[in-house]
Amino acid sequence: MDTNSLKKALLLMLVIVTTALVSWEIRLRKIGVQPTFDAGDVLWSDKRAMVYESKDKVTVFIGSSRIHFDIDIPTWKTATGKQVVQLGIDGSSPMPVLTNLADDPNFKGNLIIDITEGLFFSTSPFNMEEPNKGLKYFKDRTFAQKASFQINKVLESRFAFLDKENFSMNAYLAELHLQNRPKVFEMPIWPWQFSGASFDNQAIMYPVFVSDTNLQVRVRNIWAMFAKMGEKDVPMHGKELDSLLNVVKVSVDKIKSRGGNVFFTRTPSSGPYLIGEQMGFPRDKYYERVLATTGCQGMHFQDYAPTKNMICPEWSHLDQPQSVVFTKELIRVLREEKGWKL
Amino acid sequence: MIFNSYTFVVFFIIVMILHNLPFSWKTKKINLLLASYIFYAAWNPVFILLLWLSTIIDFYVGKALYVQEDKRKKNILLVVSLIGNLCMLIFFKYGTFLLDNFLTLVNAFGVDFHPAKPNIILPAGISFYTFTTLCYTIDMYKKESAPVKSLLDFSLFVTFFPHLVAGPIVRPPQLVPQFENERKASQDQIIQGLFLLSLGLFMKVVLADSMLAVAANAVFNSNQPLASLDAWMGVLAFSGQIFFDFAGYSTCAIGVAACLGFALPQNFLYPYAAIGFSDFWRRWHITLSAWLRDYLYIPLGGNRNGKFKTYRNLMITMLLGGLWHGANWTFVAWGGLHGFYLWVEKAILDARKETNKPSFVPKFLLAMATFFLVNVTWVFFRAGTFTQAGSILQSMFGMMPQGNAVLTTLAIWKVGVIVVGMFLAQWLMRNRLVLEVIPKLSWWAFGSIWAVMLLLLIWSQESGSSFIYFQF
Repeated sequence: MDTNSLKKALLLMLVIVTTALVSWEIRLRKIGVQPTFDAGDVLWSDKRAMVYESKDKVTVFIGSSRIHFDIDIPTWKTATGKQVVQLGIDGSSPMPVLTNLADDPNFKGNLIIDITEGLFFSTSPFNMEEPNKGLKYFKDRTFAQKASFQINKVLESRFAFLDKENFSMNAYLAELHLQNRPKVFEMPIWPWQFSGASFDNQAIMYPVFVSDTNLQVRVRNIWAMFAKMGEKDVPMHGKELDSLLNVVKVSVDKIKSRGGNVFFTRTPSSGPYLIGEQMGFPRDKYYERVLATTGCQGMHFQDYAPTKNMICPEWSHLDQPQSVVFTKELIRVLREEKGWKL
Repeated sequence: MIFNSYTFVVFFIIVMILHNLPFSWKTKKINLLLASYIFYAAWNPVFILLLWLSTIIDFYVGKALYVQEDKRKKNILLVVSLIGNLCMLIFFKYGTFLLDNFLTLVNAFGVDFHPAKPNIILPAGISFYTFTTLCYTIDMYKKESAPVKSLLDFSLFVTFFPHLVAGPIVRPPQLVPQFENERKASQDQIIQGLFLLSLGLFMKVVLADSMLAVAANAVFNSNQPLASLDAWMGVLAFSGQIFFDFAGYSTCAIGVAACLGFALPQNFLYPYAAIGFSDFWRRWHITLSAWLRDYLYIPLGGNRNGKFKTYRNLMITMLLGGLWHGANWTFVAWGGLHGFYLWVEKAILDARKETNKPSFVPKFLLAMATFFLVNVTWVFFRAGTFTQAGSILQSMFGMMPQGNAVLTTLAIWKVGVIVVGMFLAQWLMRNRLVLEVIPKLSWWAFGSIWAVMLLLLIWSQESGSSFIYFQF
């Protein structure tokens, strides 16, 4: 092939790639997809590095997906003039991150911990996997990875198709829903409309999800599937619970001894999900014991008028308008009832 | 820095611009050297010191070796170089392994000794650049090539970023002469280099990471007995993953070097189309095989001292080759199994030579048999322990009737389609190079194939996972 033909091939390649990407982006925008960020280890590590700011400037949140959805970061910033460091990790226990922050002598800030009972009161290795992966990435990340993140940030903020969880080749292949052999576990697929992450690491429900009951039912079925999988598991109790509470207390004491503040919150859930949680983890035996053991203050959503009757579209997470209400109420409680200087 | 990262894209654009500005050749070489140090330091800047130490020791020792006529002094100089290079490699790569084995030994004799576990970080690419510098001093000792004239050229030879971290392992005569006179890539070279870079990234990101890694990890990270189908699919997935990962890296390296006007040696030549194991080792990690042949097997005596010593030398070479890959006895077993295969093959070939009987088995079936046996060796390469390797082998050969199914139907399809496609493609391409095939295509076919590869690369959206061979 002569130089001329090679140049023509190069040009053709560029034309095809550009046309395909532009068409794909236009199609996604047309169906309502917005640019979001991959809420994986890379974004999480970027936030983890921000915990060292003084507590007058930032508040750190840890927990699982509920804290991810339920804290509206722009509302928090506007109301307090301070930053949020969102370290919630979907479907996981906050314990590895709590222990990590407690063992980090340079962390002396304000920490708010979400209690989603099924995940908080668990020592299942599966629930520790993602936090440990995130912590390892944070510890090991190189200059090159940090630089790549900065470039990626620019691209992800502009292109909706850059969404590995929903629009990658594997995400499309998973939509084939091939029948598996008995006993083979396959992660369910959440509809893309369920959420997208902002650069601040806030999960935001798409409005189309809030208005489409079919999509909500699809996610409710996923929660039901997880509940069925765990129906034989007895909730943690006795010595195992005492041991976990002791670990929480030790970690909280370490943070407090350095001048930090720790606060617990029970974020809203509703419907059968809430009923199941109340049956499996009665408030007095779990949530209240955390507060009693650690000597920390907390906010349970059922104790406050603006939040106690909140309805989660798929029973477990708030849509954005409700997350604004929840965040405002949390700020009010912290300031007016708990004496936090926010 | 890894090729499959945004940082590399920016880095490479800057390097290309600087390399094509009207600077003197010396300035361009200094730019390339600095770029290579940045490429390496972007992972962990501290380990640049090791690279400098290795470069400086070997440059001056190499020069002294070449001019030294006194045999005793020459031997001392060689020992200094070997100690300098190998001690670093042994400390960083095998320190923990040696300590563990020492403790196992003394504990077996009833000595209750439990020192603190050392926390040694393995510098990326140490096995590769140690072999690069070692071959230089050995060549100087044997006067097989002339010493490199300038420290700049030698530093660039050791550090040139396309090959620095995971090869191909270059020899001085392959690269040093290319630094002596100004080189600028032609337009053809740049386009072909960019194509090879895309191809390498496609192999790594789309095929290894996106399609095969999940199945391989699910099987090898499982601590339960596996169903036969799952064990086989996991091993086949790893077989494809390691090929696409490592050959992908080498293809990227060759492509990047070509864009800058340099030629690096081929490192892979469709190894899964090999007919027999000596053929496999002529096609898999070619530069390491050649290194082991020239600097270990032949110095041990090669095949010059009778059958027994030939077989012994072959096994020693393969065992040490296995150990080079990782500080674990499972890697030694992997090398040993390949050594055993080579023994059997040699015995069959020697017997056939004596009887003068031609092979009656079709070559394609022999290639399939070779591929099958190579897959068995990958179990030891990928498994963390012999217990795990044993368990997977038992599953593969139907000795675990109650084994669990862990792979999804989709994962099985992905592995099946890609591994069969890989095997057939390698068989069809076994006597050809990619760059020889391109001219036979029409420009629109070539452009379309390139576009599909790039689109799949973007579509897979796999973010910068490291190459498997970085850990070696």
